[in-house]
Amino acid sequence: MKDSTVHELFDLLNVFVLKRSDNGTFQPLGSIPEWFLHLFPEALEPDRSCAPEEWSPFLENFLFDANEFWNKNKKGRTFSGPWIEKDSAGREFSLEASAVCLKDGKFFVVENLSKAYEVQLKLLQVGRDNSLYNELLEEEVRKRTAQIQDREEEVALRLVSAAEFRDDETGAHIRRMGAYSAVLAKKLGWSSGEIDNIRIAAPMHDIGKIGIPDSVLLKPGRLTDEEYDVMKQHAEIGGKMLAGSKTRMINMAHDIALYHHEKWDGSGYPSGLPGDEIPLSARVVAVADVYDALVHKRVYKPPLSEVETLGIMKKTKGHHFDPNLIDIFLDSLEDFRKIAAYDGSGKLPIV
Amino acid sequence: MIQKKICMIGSFAVGKTSLVSRFVDSIFSDKYITTVGVKIDKKTISVGTQDMTLVLWDLEGEDEFQKFRVSYLRGTSGYLLVSDGTRPNTIDVALKLQQEVETAIGAVPFIFIINKHDLIDEWKINESDIDHLRSKGWEVIKTSAKLGQAVEEAFLTLGARMLGT
Repeated sequence: MKDSTVHELFDLLNVFVLKRSDNGTFQPLGSIPEWFLHLFPEALEPDRSCAPEEWSPFLENFLFDANEFWNKNKKGRTFSGPWIEKDSAGREFSLEASAVCLKDGKFFVVENLSKAYEVQLKLLQVGRDNSLYNELLEEEVRKRTAQIQDREEEVALRLVSAAEFRDDETGAHIRRMGAYSAVLAKKLGWSSGEIDNIRIAAPMHDIGKIGIPDSVLLKPGRLTDEEYDVMKQHAEIGGKMLAGSKTRMINMAHDIALYHHEKWDGSGYPSGLPGDEIPLSARVVAVADVYDALVHKRVYKPPLSEVETLGIMKKTKGHHFDPNLIDIFLDSLEDFRKIAAYDGSGKLPIV
Repeated sequence: MIQKKICMIGSFAVGKTSLVSRFVDSIFSDKYITTVGVKIDKKTISVGTQDMTLVLWDLEGEDEFQKFRVSYLRGTSGYLLVSDGTRPNTIDVALKLQQEVETAIGAVPFIFIINKHDLIDEWKINESDIDHLRSKGWEVIKTSAKLGQAVEEAFLTLGARMLGT
């Protein structure tokens, strides 16, 4: 191919090509494009050898990568990625450099990207504008989902309060139940959606008490065996109240209400399920419920100290409670203490 | 005169180019124009009695379309890690990039920038998030490229850190 044809081709491609000699110096090939002389008027030495590393900090940096590439002596091309060079008037030119390795030599190419850059810029701009818009939409969905969850939680808590107040329980207890359970769920690595679910579902654990006669539920003193059998029915009543839902959170509340009196060794009620046959949500609530009952005053007992409470919880590990959950509970004691201190006034600690 | 290369690093659309424009040319545009590749600017600052030329490498933002090129960090003396207070995910991206930078070039001075302070009412990050960043021993500066708020302070603070003063 004639030299003039090569030069014409370089002009058409908007590239400035230099040949790299073995001693690492560069010689221009073909004519020097006007845009190049405009940007780098002092770039060329009188003997037409030149030093790209002195033209721009960007090229100085890329030459490290280019030399590494040429030293491999492997046929191919590596690119710098685009960069913007400004002229003395502040006008921007989009350029890209590349190192080329061929059988007949090594070359350094600087390309004026011009239209190609504009196309790339437009595509990227559209992509990023869309990403920003998607972020806005996701934020809106997140906000609205949170509003719906707040509403669900409030409705659930108000309904549960109706049952709990009959039992001389307080709103504080049911809110604490949600918070303790959320702490354990988080430590178990549950998703944020599932943690939200158990925070709302756990307070419904005793909702079945609404079906227990006052003569049993409100009886001061010890229950007879027959009365205790009636009291135990609250688990199945709660299970029936919450059965058959298509909502994940209500299904979880069903499992909790029905199974939170099951025990790890199979001695619990109503079904005598052992070990991990008991739904995990119910095992979590069992730990939270017993802890809260022990550390707070009830009509039938004074509050126990933390030492006494922990003694009981540890002693029944593997009998009453899932042993893994007791380990997690002990690891979360600081959070449990903060939640236990919540008495209904002020803000419930969100741990 | 001392010359130091510093890089602007962060997610896309957090205001890296706007911070450089505000610092170098004292201008700001509300229109978001994405950066493709690298833009290089220079500005001379004085830190105490020491004059220093900052060579500012404004690197295109990290996102699903463009990945961060570690080779651009070669010779970097410090960097501004830029996030947007209205977009919490940009903090996560900044944290990820900080790890990548440290793996590539070691521990060099940097300032954690939370930009768009002019939109403080729309910020989704709170003081406890910022305290968490500061608890790592990091300098965190809230800036507004739009208002010019704390922009110069950010670059001068980084300059001072690079000089070890």
